[in-house]
Amino acid sequence: MANRPPKARYTKTHEWVLVEGDQATLGITDFAVEHLGDLVFVSLPDVGRVLKAGEVAAEVESVKAVGEVYAPLGGTVAAVNTGLAGDQAPLAKDPFGKGWLFKLKVKPGAGADLMDLATYEKQLASEAK
Amino acid sequence: MRSTPLTDAHVAAGARMVDFHGWNMPVQYAGILDETRRVRSQVGLFDLCHMGRLEIRGKDRERLVERVFSANLGKLRLGRAKYGFLLDERGYPIDDILVYRGVDIVHIVINAGGRDDDGPWVAARAAEEGFEADVKDVSDAQAMIALQGRNSEMTLQPLCSVDLSAVKYYGFADGLVLGVPCLLARTGYTGEDGFELFFAKAYARRVWDALLASGKNLGAAPIGLGARDLLRLEAGMPLYGSEISRAIHPLEADLEFGLDLDKTGTVGIPALRAAKVKGFPRRAVSLAAKGGPVARADTELWQAGRKVGVVTSGGVSPTIERTIARALVEASAAAPGSTLEAEVRGKRYPFQVVPSPFYKRTR
Repeated sequence: MANRPPKARYTKTHEWVLVEGDQATLGITDFAVEHLGDLVFVSLPDVGRVLKAGEVAAEVESVKAVGEVYAPLGGTVAAVNTGLAGDQAPLAKDPFGKGWLFKLKVKPGAGADLMDLATYEKQLASEAK
Repeated sequence: MRSTPLTDAHVAAGARMVDFHGWNMPVQYAGILDETRRVRSQVGLFDLCHMGRLEIRGKDRERLVERVFSANLGKLRLGRAKYGFLLDERGYPIDDILVYRGVDIVHIVINAGGRDDDGPWVAARAAEEGFEADVKDVSDAQAMIALQGRNSEMTLQPLCSVDLSAVKYYGFADGLVLGVPCLLARTGYTGEDGFELFFAKAYARRVWDALLASGKNLGAAPIGLGARDLLRLEAGMPLYGSEISRAIHPLEADLEFGLDLDKTGTVGIPALRAAKVKGFPRRAVSLAAKGGPVARADTELWQAGRKVGVVTSGGVSPTIERTIARALVEASAAAPGSTLEAEVRGKRYPFQVVPSPFYKRTR
């Protein structure tokens, strides 16, 4: 099992978000990566774009499917992991570290209503049944 | 959903299963790209029990096949196989098929999607013409397993009674595999050397397990439908329903090698002969790009602000390391070297028209 960061928050659609002050780092979980299979393409939002919570922010495409990545919270795109455009290996191998997708400028304390790790792992366990 | 005699083996091996034309089939085991590489470099096993098979016997069997098969059976030597089509009157394929000419039998392999309709259609043509020919659907009685990849012969040889080195590409022989009577054909759908085996269904699991064991040190592993689709796409082979259908005929699809346009008395051939003389506005092309999203089937293609065609199949090739697609485009956009733009989820990405096929093995 991957090292899921305990301080991050999680979504039903398998995104993770780590809020530190007014900056949030976002990605998709090891479960999402595993489910997609061989990754071939990542499309990320433009820096400066204002995202609403729940909006499609990015796409992660595998050999057989396209996964849409929803913004778990609203904010302004402050940075994107540009390296992923040419090489998806960091996302495949390290979805919570080098495979982060983008960073948002958010209100401090945002995302507190999202699932914590224990709740997310309960959801994973029930999906496996 | 229907199961094959190998479904349990796939599930036990941890395959991801999908519904394919109503069949519970493995889409992947280790991963689509890994499996594709394995077949290109070693050997892979495919469960093809879902595919349809017809056996045609009787005095007029060859007259019947000449009537329904787009290629020329008479020009085919005994013990050899040929690719072609069952055509409707307008020259559009009802299915694409492989025909094996035996001494007193003709074997036909059809697609899983054609199992309900192809046999009755062929039998109806026999009745129409008053041919003395028996069309038997053996799809449920027979297992079909393929081994594909350069290590296929070494994997199969220790288990079988036939000297495989004497079986030519697109040739076949009758023999024994593990003592089980079997038709062994040097055919396939990957662009690699390999064999397709046809034998009584009851032995499917025994043969499957024995092949995996025999090829263990040669890299043998089971391969799912995902890699199968990618392998055939790399090798420039069509998928019925995508590259050809009741709306795309074989000339448009660049598959004239499956036709004998000089034949008389074959359903659909006169229409295609006329189409060849008159010309046709669309052409099948191969497209490639470095990186970018996959241009999947039905993706629109644009050139100079005008829509010029659609993708029929798309994927990512681990063999040539390009995003690849087959597409049907206006003739004006079909020249190699042209750039077309694929519209994927609202954005356009450039693809180059490249020579076909994407991959050809060196012999």
